[in-house]
Amino acid sequence: MSFDSRSNDQVFEVHSVRKSYGDKQVLKDISLAIPQGVVGLLGPNGSGKSTLIKSILGLVSIDSGKGKVLGFDWPSEVRIVRDHVGYLPEDDCYLQGLQGIESIQLMARLSGLQKKEALRRSHEVADYCDLGQERYRNVETYSTGMRQKLKFAQALVHDPQWIILDEPTTGLDPAQREQFLDRIYALANEQGKSILLSTHILHDVVQTCDHVVIMAAGQIRVFDSLVNLQRPSQEGLQINVVSGASKLSQALSDQGIQTTCRSDSELVALGVESTILDRIWKTSVQEQVVVVRMEQARNSLEQAFLDAVRS
Amino acid sequence: MPLLDVGYRQWEGNRTPRWTRALVLATTGIHLVWKGTWLKRVLMFMAIPALIAGIFVATFEQTIDRSGPREMLRALNQNPQSRSIAARAGVDLSEAAADPEAYRHFTWSYILFSLSRYPQAFGMIVVLGLVAPRLISYDLRSRGYLLYLSRPLTPGEYVFGKSMVLFFLLFMMSAVPALLIYVAGLFLSTDSTAIAQTWDIPLRILLASLVLMIPTSAVALAFSAMTQESRYAGFAWFAMWVVGGVTFYSLWGATQIGQEIRRPRRRGPDIEAFNAINSWSSYKLFSPYETLGYLQQQIFGLTVKDDWTWAPWILAIIASIVGYGFAYWRVSRVLKA
Repeated sequence: MSFDSRSNDQVFEVHSVRKSYGDKQVLKDISLAIPQGVVGLLGPNGSGKSTLIKSILGLVSIDSGKGKVLGFDWPSEVRIVRDHVGYLPEDDCYLQGLQGIESIQLMARLSGLQKKEALRRSHEVADYCDLGQERYRNVETYSTGMRQKLKFAQALVHDPQWIILDEPTTGLDPAQREQFLDRIYALANEQGKSILLSTHILHDVVQTCDHVVIMAAGQIRVFDSLVNLQRPSQEGLQINVVSGASKLSQALSDQGIQTTCRSDSELVALGVESTILDRIWKTSVQEQVVVVRMEQARNSLEQAFLDAVRS
Repeated sequence: MPLLDVGYRQWEGNRTPRWTRALVLATTGIHLVWKGTWLKRVLMFMAIPALIAGIFVATFEQTIDRSGPREMLRALNQNPQSRSIAARAGVDLSEAAADPEAYRHFTWSYILFSLSRYPQAFGMIVVLGLVAPRLISYDLRSRGYLLYLSRPLTPGEYVFGKSMVLFFLLFMMSAVPALLIYVAGLFLSTDSTAIAQTWDIPLRILLASLVLMIPTSAVALAFSAMTQESRYAGFAWFAMWVVGGVTFYSLWGATQIGQEIRRPRRRGPDIEAFNAINSWSSYKLFSPYETLGYLQQQIFGLTVKDDWTWAPWILAIIASIVGYGFAYWRVSRVLKA
């Protein structure tokens, strides 16, 4: 039995998952169906994100619950699932004494690649993950950023259908982070991989994800598409100016347009675009405020996240 | 970035069966420990006693028509330790010197037992002390277990894979040299009945090696799984042998002193003292070294029937179960934390 990535199957579908550590219930009756594409998993510390991920891989035994992962029965067929899932753990984990390339090769062989093929494939993904000649160094000498790249290569080496990335951009500099997000985007959109991205960095989610799951206190609080989450309750325009956003906001309010000033360079004017656009242009000219960008207003993911966590 | 960036490529191919994945863990572990310079030195040093034992067997066979074996058995007869062991195997060395061929089995067994009991057992302690403490503790410290167990491996297979590293080293140290000596003895023998006389020795070698490998690996892995600091595991490992030995010799020595007072003192080496040390005493259960030594003595047929006991077997089995059980429990537990 295998998962057909072209079908409309859910990548992961579970019902009534519970997990407790002693008296503390960390997963409270979770039911979730994750579609293909890139899904962001958000939540404050201790919300149960890592426990959920580890339970998907069978690294944590659940108290109750069942479902399907990539079309395989879960948790009974979790070992088969592991052959089709690539996992980048949050923890700083490495295999002491091995070179980077040996470390990737080992993961490939543990996933069932023959020795020589594992080495060839390891070099292929090491190139893709930009490990360069550092691949011949022992992993304990790697910097945090290099270790993240190495873990990414290890997660990809067996060409998994579903890639679970737990805090993948931690320790990367801005340029590396952008590269990393580009790779995630390419893997999803060019290679058809499904990706679960667990992170605290909301910007990463906005840049890469199609859907978002927000967890808090062991429960799923929000599961929706990113587009829906960013859609404001009222239509409006987001206006970016060089400076003087408060002055423009005041002038628009005086004309009966409801506004929210977010900073000295950003404000949101509520209303239908066709009715307020001309008035905004005229007012900005009158007030001598230079508009640099104007677009449909969106809710910030930060706000959606905070609302979900506080609810 | 490579000169020609081909981007991500999909992979298609046949996967190896899942039961072989634990062996991958083992081969990688062996590859890793083999990087250790000290291990190579110790293993090279360990070859010397095996070479000497091989020379003894070769000499015995090559000079069987001449006086060589007779001289060898006479020399053994002069040694109270070997005389005591021979007596426990029901062999009178003074008679054996007259007809060495009839005592081929005993001679080979005695040589191989001596190799296994002393240099190889000491070497095993050193090699496991160098290798075993890191096997699980390093993974606990660097969280490498997450990488292993996110692949299709169970905690049981993980522990099995790790113990295979130790099995391999111990097998190469104990069984392989002894089997080579046995085969060399057969090839060098001018007597066609040598195989018929000694056919059971390879089985005894394998059994003696297993007895050495399984409980010691289990205990060593349990120590390694106890801590994230391999030096603590190493310390516990060596302390176990030293404390066990000291305890045994203290208790056994005290009883011997008591008997000495009641026994008239004789001149020269006291064969009774050797008989006492070579026979079973429940004090030996305090010392892993003595317990394993006695097991090997039994396996090589160097104990009299009256002295046969299941106590060391039971201890070895308990140590194996508890050792592996603890290592398994620890690895399973750390995942749940």
